[in-house]
Amino acid sequence: MRKEIAKNVVLNIIPMQKFRTIKVQIDFLRPLLKDENAQRRLLANVLSNSTKKYPTFKKLNDREMELYGTEINVYTRGLINYNDLAISAEFADPQFLIGGDNLIKENLELLSEIILNLNIENNLFEKTAFDTEKSNLISNLLSIDDNQDLVSSLALNRLIYKNNVNKQLPIFGTVEQVENITNQGLLDYYKKVISEDTVVINVVGDVDEQEIINIFEDGKLAEFFQKERPTLDLKFDNFDELKETPAIQKEHKKLNQSRIAEAFTTEKISEDISFLAPQIMNLILGGDDQSQLFQEVREKNSLAYSVSSSYQPISRLVTIHAGLDANSLNKTVELISDQIDYIKNGNVSADQIEHAKKVMSTRRLIGSDSIQHYINRSIWDIIYPQSLLDDEKFRVELEKVDVAQVAEVASSMKVIAQYQLIGD
Amino acid sequence: MVAKLEKVTRKLKNGFEIQVIQMPNFNQIYGLVMVNFGSVNTLLEDGEQLPAGIAHFIEHKLFAKPGYDVSEKFAEYGANTNAYTSYTKTAYLFQTIENPYDNLRILLDLVSNPYFTKKNVNSERGIIDQEIQMYLDMPEWVLEQKILSQLYPNDPISADIAGTSESLKEINNENLLSTYYRYYQPKNMNLVLVGNVDIDKVEEIVNEFDLEATDPMPNKIMRPFEPISDGGQNTMEISQSRSSFGIRVDLDKTSKSLVELQFEINMVMETLVGESSDYYEELTNSGIIDDSFSYNVVAENNYCFVIISGTTPKPDEFREFMSSHLTTEILKNALTATKFQQIKLDAIGSYVFAQNSPESIANQVAELYFYDTDYLKLIDIIDGITINDLNEVAELVLNPDNYTYYHLLSEKK
Repeated sequence: MRKEIAKNVVLNIIPMQKFRTIKVQIDFLRPLLKDENAQRRLLANVLSNSTKKYPTFKKLNDREMELYGTEINVYTRGLINYNDLAISAEFADPQFLIGGDNLIKENLELLSEIILNLNIENNLFEKTAFDTEKSNLISNLLSIDDNQDLVSSLALNRLIYKNNVNKQLPIFGTVEQVENITNQGLLDYYKKVISEDTVVINVVGDVDEQEIINIFEDGKLAEFFQKERPTLDLKFDNFDELKETPAIQKEHKKLNQSRIAEAFTTEKISEDISFLAPQIMNLILGGDDQSQLFQEVREKNSLAYSVSSSYQPISRLVTIHAGLDANSLNKTVELISDQIDYIKNGNVSADQIEHAKKVMSTRRLIGSDSIQHYINRSIWDIIYPQSLLDDEKFRVELEKVDVAQVAEVASSMKVIAQYQLIGD
Repeated sequence: MVAKLEKVTRKLKNGFEIQVIQMPNFNQIYGLVMVNFGSVNTLLEDGEQLPAGIAHFIEHKLFAKPGYDVSEKFAEYGANTNAYTSYTKTAYLFQTIENPYDNLRILLDLVSNPYFTKKNVNSERGIIDQEIQMYLDMPEWVLEQKILSQLYPNDPISADIAGTSESLKEINNENLLSTYYRYYQPKNMNLVLVGNVDIDKVEEIVNEFDLEATDPMPNKIMRPFEPISDGGQNTMEISQSRSSFGIRVDLDKTSKSLVELQFEINMVMETLVGESSDYYEELTNSGIIDDSFSYNVVAENNYCFVIISGTTPKPDEFREFMSSHLTTEILKNALTATKFQQIKLDAIGSYVFAQNSPESIANQVAELYFYDTDYLKLIDIIDGITINDLNEVAELVLNPDNYTYYHLLSEKK
């Protein structure tokens, strides 16, 4: 059931008797701006550190434990041209507990505390909470440099979004940006978020719809969520310039293993081609352990332990990542190119197509065994419903895919970015 | 309301156990065979030492069969497959929406028909070597090996699960096969299926396979551990220093079951350094740790240890804090009735959370089989723990003689 509480404030309740937990997630959406990324991530962390009623990290954690280990999670992520700040509470379904009768109400109160009843002292975020979360975030950002997969993936992102200043920086900001955030600045930013952002509330689990509606319409959250918010404007990326001149970068580091990361655009060739043809092409290229990349680069030539590709339907980008010995870099780049040619030249077998179709259906069904699946789907349904297929449409589109369509997608691939992290 | 979990068990004459758990509203079927054999099992009865990484190598190479790779077969029948090796176990799994019985046959073929040749073993060596190189760039992984080598000097647990570039050279099709026959025996494995399957049909399929043992069951080799090392440090090209504080618990000093022990030690650690402890807050506020700080309690076979680790700009203060604050006196003060109740409720909640995941259920059920513990009875174990139990176990665990540390220091500082 979906209910618009106010303009651009949506409550979505998905009652289902499948899971042993109940999850409530509130997503705040606004345009993705490079100067706000760090603030937004720090805000999420400060909010989940403590509240007025639970004024220390310990006291808030004590409360989570009392509620049978409620999991409070916060994150920020990029969704097309939006920055999504999510705060969620997942907790055990009281039907499986003795003495947890008020758990739904108590968890919603806790979530409301975190979002609205801030740990404020002298008109600022309480100093320890602010300082601790700021130094934690800086420390986490410094640690990124020690995670080579992430280093490589962020570097590729920088190259892909060379011409989009808002997307080239990491969604969690940079050390320098976090260092420049003041307590007052963060509190001012919070006020903007809480009053201006589009809000999507999802409740999934064995719940009574009316009970949830009452909480959101009459509870503490109601005052905020009944205010209308400005409508967001979707904007899609364009990689034309990079198609002409790909962005290429090589870096050297003292490492045992080197990394290659490549990005390719694909084109929507015609309306007749299945919506799912690029996904099927990607699965055949590097989407699982039967793919061309896995079989040729890893299994037959023992060049890499990890090699895979993925496809992002909204941006139509295919990305490839491999971890390998520095001496194998050139050979691997050649082999990657050979696998694209293999698909482009129509050499894909009917069995490969069938296998990829089976994998897509299986992943879709297995994905729906997770509570988060329903929340993510609901968010996409609100911000860009065209990206979702219902079961029947999915079946029809999958059925349509054939060798020629997959070859056409591969033929449209153009490299736009390549990053090599070379271990010395 | 979602139905409560129910488990059906069959023990075959050859000692192989099958456990099936229904998950009526879930789409998937998750199947897993777990073998009580991991990276630490490298010492033989006659004193011979197997090369490090041999359990992991078997895990990789069992997928190879004459003329096909098992992953292709799983793919044909619509399943994903994977496998993993831990310090004490090896597991093979599939996840599918359709053809559960065909996929079960493939899983049983995978674990019961080794096909190791010189050629396929040689080609696998390169892939595993790449895997080892990948882990060597991960500071958390390197630190875990280092702290284990302080806790258990010269013991197989201090070696990388995948081995080393050198030990890989000693692995060949012959020692792979003899090791396989020694450990892959029906009494030393179990099968778990989570999802909509019929136990009678499953048993019928298992009986199609020749799971009879050819070798006698390996004896449990209890090599005495060397004394705990004093600790150490090394530098690495990383941006942030990291520290580990290790606690070794020698099991000959307790008669508690490992599962009970693991729950109790977890509760002790949660009280002392968990996110809801006074000390976690103190450590964070004084800038000794960041939110990467965590502890992990392991109680498997004859190993029982705790590793507390995190990124820290102050490694020496990290170590000193742990040494001086992990005491029974401090625990007694911190472990109030309210705190104990919170910790218990949290553990009950975690048990319910895990039941959302067929993967988590299958892996826990399979692992607990080797410790004679029924997954569905875990709640009774949690419920039965008292404050007194925690104070008692703390006497065993929180002893400075059990402590050591390792620092991985950033070369940049």
